[in-house]
Amino acid sequence: MMRPVRAYYPILPVLIGYGILFGIGQMVPGKWQLISQLAFFCALGQAFNLFMGMTGYVDFGYVAFLGVGTYGMAVSIYYLFDKGLGLTMIVIGMILAAVFSTLLSLAVGAVALRLRGAYFAIATIGVNEGFRFLIEGARIWNGSDGMIFSRHMKTAFGRETAMALSMKWADVIVFGVAFLAAVMTLLYMRNKVGYALTALREDEDAAKVMGINVTRYKLIAFITSAILAGLLGASAWALKLTYVYPTDVFAIHYTVEAIIIVLLGGAGTLLGPIVGGLIYGVSKYYLAIVLPGFQLMIFAPIIIMIIVLFPEGTVGILKKRVFGTPLEKFII
Amino acid sequence: MIFEQLSGNLLQGLVLGSVYGMATMGLSLIFGVLQVVNVGHGAFIMVGAFTSLMMFQAAGVPPVLAIPVAFAIGMALGMLFYFGALKPLVSPSGSGIKSLDMRAVGMGAGILVALLVVMRFLSAAFKLHFAITLFVAIIFLYGFLLYIYGGRRQDKAPELATLLVTFSIGVILEESVKQLFTSEARGFNWAIGKLDLGVTVLPYTKLIASFGSLTIAVLLYLWFRKTRAGMAMRSVVEDDVGARVCGVNVDWQYALSFSLGIGLTVTSGVLLTMFIPVGINPYMGGPYTLKSFVIAVLGGLASPYGAFFGGLVFGLVENGSYTLFAQFQGLEPFAMTRFFSFVMLLVILLLRPTGLLKVK
Repeated sequence: MMRPVRAYYPILPVLIGYGILFGIGQMVPGKWQLISQLAFFCALGQAFNLFMGMTGYVDFGYVAFLGVGTYGMAVSIYYLFDKGLGLTMIVIGMILAAVFSTLLSLAVGAVALRLRGAYFAIATIGVNEGFRFLIEGARIWNGSDGMIFSRHMKTAFGRETAMALSMKWADVIVFGVAFLAAVMTLLYMRNKVGYALTALREDEDAAKVMGINVTRYKLIAFITSAILAGLLGASAWALKLTYVYPTDVFAIHYTVEAIIIVLLGGAGTLLGPIVGGLIYGVSKYYLAIVLPGFQLMIFAPIIIMIIVLFPEGTVGILKKRVFGTPLEKFII
Repeated sequence: MIFEQLSGNLLQGLVLGSVYGMATMGLSLIFGVLQVVNVGHGAFIMVGAFTSLMMFQAAGVPPVLAIPVAFAIGMALGMLFYFGALKPLVSPSGSGIKSLDMRAVGMGAGILVALLVVMRFLSAAFKLHFAITLFVAIIFLYGFLLYIYGGRRQDKAPELATLLVTFSIGVILEESVKQLFTSEARGFNWAIGKLDLGVTVLPYTKLIASFGSLTIAVLLYLWFRKTRAGMAMRSVVEDDVGARVCGVNVDWQYALSFSLGIGLTVTSGVLLTMFIPVGINPYMGGPYTLKSFVIAVLGGLASPYGAFFGGLVFGLVENGSYTLFAQFQGLEPFAMTRFFSFVMLLVILLLRPTGLLKVK
């Protein structure tokens, strides 16, 4: 089913947004770290929104997908570095990250997505802790000692390339993942998947009665969201930091950040996570300078505030404002 | 050898399980009445643990005497968060914000300011003041906006909203406690002797904790069954529209059961410190949230007594599986036990989401 090109216009503001962000990062010296952080937050929000925003279900164990993605890349470099594969290793790492997160999301989704609302949240809240304890308890991939592979990267790629990979290309991949997430969101919104998801978000029983296989569409969104998270973990954490510890990558506060970003911007919108990611990223950056350690304490009451007072989020309100104007085509 | 170990551990598990059960009753009560899953459950347990720790360290008060204090703190927190955050989302009358709620928000903010003024004299760091001012300003702004916009919402908010709100409440508690007491792990030692049972040794503190939770469970049962107030709450669980028709103030029952649930949860934090008096830190709640969810689901999620029973089962399973995992080389039994409780949660949800007992 072909849609008119006009339906895909909203990708333009996304493209322009990321283009400007990337441009600032390249032009202004010393701001690349901040910009790459912002890109990470946008990507995190966008990937999280693909599931939470479109289905209305909240996955409290979301960070587990980033965690297994990180391990995907780590495993690839740690065990293959002396095989002479060169940069193919990075590709293998990304594929492994996607495979790991797909498998985990299938396992979790098969159980949790049969359940409704509250039961789903209960089923997912332990995923990150559970997986962390599996890795620590069964001593998989060095267990709680983690994997440090900066030496392996230098041996495999040479000093220069290894540096460039973690200082620059990791962030470029994050930009890529962020854009990919936006494209996937828009594609789903404009196709059968998105219509089914909207129907089930509004009223799951009615959607079922209309003959929509709700579990199937929820699973599609869940897996897509998980794969994007896995790729993000592989690039923003494994490749950039060149180490991985289970306590770091399964830390629940990344899930909190994802929730904040999506709600700030507006759940279920395309531009929301980008706006939310920018607001959150910039305020976190400056809060960390003025008030180190207080970010979550400041943002947690803000989440409550948004949910109770403005559940539509920034872009949701903006969308209402531009309704009926020519801008309407670009903002969803 | 292993059987002796196992029976000893199972006995320990049964004693611990009664405290676990008590820790989950609040969660089940809140779900039963308000249909809200308290995702910030563990944070309230942490508040109880800190109450016990601080009273013991500052004044040498034995944890048993901290129980009523913790219960009062829990009730107060419950009221504050119910009127400040949850009410606009779950209130069955849908009337939005009344003047009482504004007073509650104002009172809460007032208490916060008073607390912070006290803290100001305790700490000399300027940044802390700035952060606190910001925090209080956000709360006040929220109260003000709630007053203006709060009445707008007509229909009940989606489930997502209450989950995120309770989750944020947990984060607020954790971060506040972190700012007050730093995130280092603390502990205390309240030694009053042990009871030797041959297969295992039980300190009296554990026995007192277990007995305390049993007492509280019985009191709750009697309160539900024998008093009019308990009957009113049960009627809301059965059918909230019907209860309203019969003249029950459903709004007030919601507030009461939320704060009662939080009170029970905070109290259980005190009992848990009598059991495990070490590792008390702002983020200790996470594992307890997970454990309580397993227990609540075991007991059928909406039933406090089911939760108590589920706690006993969970205590047995946890300690039993620890003993078994310890038999394998190359496994870390402690971490594996926690993984196992997560797997258990998924399996129960898959096979019997209504709980092992069919309590209705």
